[in-house]
Amino acid sequence: MRLERLVADSAARHPDRPAIRDDQGELSYRELDALADRAAGALAELGVRRGDRVAVWLNRSGMAVAVMQGALRLGAAYVPVDPLSPPARAGTIMRDCRIAALVAPQDRSGSVLEGELAEVPLLAADPSAGSFASAGVDRVGAVSPPADANEDDLAYILYTSGSTGVPKGVCISHRNALAFVEWAVREVDAQADDRFSNHAPFHFDLSVFDLYAAFLVGGCVSIVPEHHAYVPRTLVEFAVRERISIWYAVPSALMLMVDRGGLLEAPGLEFRTVIFAGEPYPIKQLRRLREGLPAVRMFNWYGPTETNVCTGYEVVEIAPDRTAPVPIGHAASGDRVWAVKDDGSEAGVGEEGELLVSGPTVSLGYWGRDPQGDAPYRTGDIVRQEPTGEYEYVGRRDQMVKIRGHRVELGEVEAALLAHPALHDVAVAVAGSGIEARLVAFLTSSGDPPSLLEIKRLCAERVPRHMIVDSVVVVDELPRTRNGKVDRLALRRMAQDEEGRSDARADAERIEGVRRP
Amino acid sequence: MTREQMLSELKEFVGRELLGGRDDGLDEHTPLLAWGVIDSLSVAELVSFTSERFEIEVPQTEVKPENLKNLDTYVGLLTRLA
Repeated sequence: MRLERLVADSAARHPDRPAIRDDQGELSYRELDALADRAAGALAELGVRRGDRVAVWLNRSGMAVAVMQGALRLGAAYVPVDPLSPPARAGTIMRDCRIAALVAPQDRSGSVLEGELAEVPLLAADPSAGSFASAGVDRVGAVSPPADANEDDLAYILYTSGSTGVPKGVCISHRNALAFVEWAVREVDAQADDRFSNHAPFHFDLSVFDLYAAFLVGGCVSIVPEHHAYVPRTLVEFAVRERISIWYAVPSALMLMVDRGGLLEAPGLEFRTVIFAGEPYPIKQLRRLREGLPAVRMFNWYGPTETNVCTGYEVVEIAPDRTAPVPIGHAASGDRVWAVKDDGSEAGVGEEGELLVSGPTVSLGYWGRDPQGDAPYRTGDIVRQEPTGEYEYVGRRDQMVKIRGHRVELGEVEAALLAHPALHDVAVAVAGSGIEARLVAFLTSSGDPPSLLEIKRLCAERVPRHMIVDSVVVVDELPRTRNGKVDRLALRRMAQDEEGRSDARADAERIEGVRRP
Repeated sequence: MTREQMLSELKEFVGRELLGGRDDGLDEHTPLLAWGVIDSLSVAELVSFTSERFEIEVPQTEVKPENLKNLDTYVGLLTRLA
């Protein structure tokens, strides 16, 4: 089985059912299938062949999905690129995996198709106009993958933050993705009349469930318009209007919907299942959600991009005295998970260790590096197994952090900042958690330190938006451990203090009446 | 209130509340969303400042990237709403 079969099979079974809805309208399975064939035809005309990579630099839309399907129908793989990514980073990704074609709006493409990428053919597409601008896409006719295409082929590459400053491409095969999707559909008992939401960007692995679970069962996926992110109330209105039954998002999005969007009081809400993943859900907030929507099934899913979802936990009830986030649960997707202590031995119940994963969802490896093979994937996450057999998430081994569910390697942000000529030494830390998580940059500088605005500009040219620094602290020198490494623990404390100070300042100003709440 | 007065008050607000007290380098064309000066959380502060200071209510449907691109587009919106 391959991912493009999911749409083609559903189109054969029930062509008139809605497959995908976006702000341009609705595509039935028949229409999505036909659009995917047209995209495949256009990509083939540009020279895309089996084994190639196609970069999809489009806003989330039915058109972007059709292009992804089109690439798969040629036996090629797609590479979703964050539409908010600065051209420099998008270009780095496209050069890294040596794309054979780019699908993007005409005006956006000019910023990357230069130098090494100057010869890459473009399929100009504009989701907001609902059309392909290039010629050749009107050719009709079904496209079938090459006869030797199989489920071990690369299906897509998801680029995640890299600790050395260069993003890493996680290579996912059809088999990897389907092992997860088939498990997920059974786990939440998804049906053809379910209406899925798509909140996560396509370069973020949460979107794999939204699209392919819907296509597997023949359900409909409604794409949340980008601008709804700025107004939680419109997100809730969207969920009601689109009659969403299965909602999957990072906890930050759900917390905003509860706190500022009136989710728990929304009349007409048809949620049947809520799934969250990407970061721990603060327990008090989750308790509110659990108690506020008593009839809804809730799941906490866990897994880095490299393994998709490898453990899951159904949140049935939360003990009143619980203060830690809910467990990440048991192995999922047919994977095996276990924890290993620093000395290499397997951690027993109650002991902490690094979580290792092996099984069908473990990725092929990173693009351009040694294949993963049968080796277990080391997540870098510290976990502890409870007597119930469930795993609890404890923390990270390294400098990777989560900002509203997005994975951020602090090293990538630091590398971007060091591009500034006046900055000698930088270190970035996270203050707060959940919705309040903030990136704080500590700098030493010769002469006038750059302003926060200058630092933000520097970031915006090199890293995606969720990695832009939120505040800056100029220090004489960075805290160091005895062996000379940056003292990350001390930095985190300094970052928390800094955030506390700015909150206190804001409170004082409110009291003085400078700024009313 | 003139457009220039609005711009200057908004600039001061953004500098004070969102840029750690420094508004040097900030002008009406500074990309607010693309540079991460405002995000989904701070946009609420901007809208409530607008309501208190200028007595202009920004409807939720207008809180969208086109209008929040920079101070110029935002003041353009406020002028239409006023």
